[in-house]
Amino acid sequence: MSQLFISDLHLNDSCPHITRAFFHFLRTRAIHAEALYILGDFFDVWVGDDDDAALAQEVASELNQLNQQGVAIYFMHGNRDFLLGESYATKAGMTLINEDVVIDLYGTPTLLTHGDSLCTGDAQYQQFRTMVRNAAWQQEFLSQSLATRRAIAAQLRETSQSMNSMKKEDIMDVAQDEVIAQMQQANVTRLVHGHTHRPARHILQINDQECERIVLGDWHDHGWCLNATSSGLTLESWAI
Amino acid sequence: MITLHTNYGDIVIELDFDKAPKTAANFKQYVEDGFYNGTIFHRVIDGFMIQGGGFTEDFEQKETRATIENEADNGLQNLTGTLAMARTNDPHSATAQFFINVKDNSFLNHSGKNSSGWGYCVFGKVTGGMDVVNKTKGVKTGSKGFHQDVPKEAVIIQSATIA
Repeated sequence: MSQLFISDLHLNDSCPHITRAFFHFLRTRAIHAEALYILGDFFDVWVGDDDDAALAQEVASELNQLNQQGVAIYFMHGNRDFLLGESYATKAGMTLINEDVVIDLYGTPTLLTHGDSLCTGDAQYQQFRTMVRNAAWQQEFLSQSLATRRAIAAQLRETSQSMNSMKKEDIMDVAQDEVIAQMQQANVTRLVHGHTHRPARHILQINDQECERIVLGDWHDHGWCLNATSSGLTLESWAI
Repeated sequence: MITLHTNYGDIVIELDFDKAPKTAANFKQYVEDGFYNGTIFHRVIDGFMIQGGGFTEDFEQKETRATIENEADNGLQNLTGTLAMARTNDPHSATAQFFINVKDNSFLNHSGKNSSGWGYCVFGKVTGGMDVVNKTKGVKTGSKGFHQDVPKEAVIIQSATIA
């Protein structure tokens, strides 16, 4: 038996090959797992559970089938799909989990997080994150009509459409001191996250203890997952 | 040869029409149209790059021509003193804004034909006035509206000329 971890699929209408690859992954891989963890940015954009877009419905139906076959599915918000709510999760057979939850992964306490909270070097982004993760902001946003929300989402994308997409290299990655702080706070020796699109396994020392940070990959030309079994972890990728 | 006459001095640029034909022609056209006259370097990050060519001194964004194809797969590297096109997260979205690398930024190079790997298209280099670039990268910056890293005292491209 295994537990699988994925993130950063950025599912959207203009990349149907990623959706297809994901469904294939569910039917051929996840079906044999005991649990599937989705660690955020699963959808490229989410304007509310009442959005009737076909993609979300298809994905819910596929996930729900998987869940019906006995695979537990856990969903954590990312910076793109932070508005995904209980009602959609229920429809998709998923359990919402909090950011920075600690799970017992075959005997090793493991901290799970999307990863954007680790990128403290990007002050501009952290400011935005604080705004949109605020419950009052979210409530107000969700109280608007679907059409208005779609327009606001487009507008937010537009703002990120400024010509400033190139950012200094170090601020796009996690800040090492924040990694250490969060791992210490959670009292773990292992961290799994996505967000940075820099899949890798990093060994680090915290208080003379060997720790590991595993970064999940984004789905583009390749699919990525972390496969955890009682005999160890493997970070896997395959062409899609 | 193109010269950007700024209030800090002249920056001389050589475009690479061989390796980045569409991007170089696009830039030359903006110069010929006088588009860059009166635009500023609105985003200055020491240790990274200086970016300009899109906003006026009043921080009005100028209307551009259509977006161009990203030629970042041309083998040119984002090295210190090279010019590359700025863009949004869409690889093929460059218009007029450009930046001058003030450090070797290899992570901006093309590494694959997908949105995270397309990279930023280098289309020329500074052949004179690198001291002006270095003066610019060192100016004091702060936030202005939604923008960060904005020079406190404007660095203005007063005119751009072709020799």
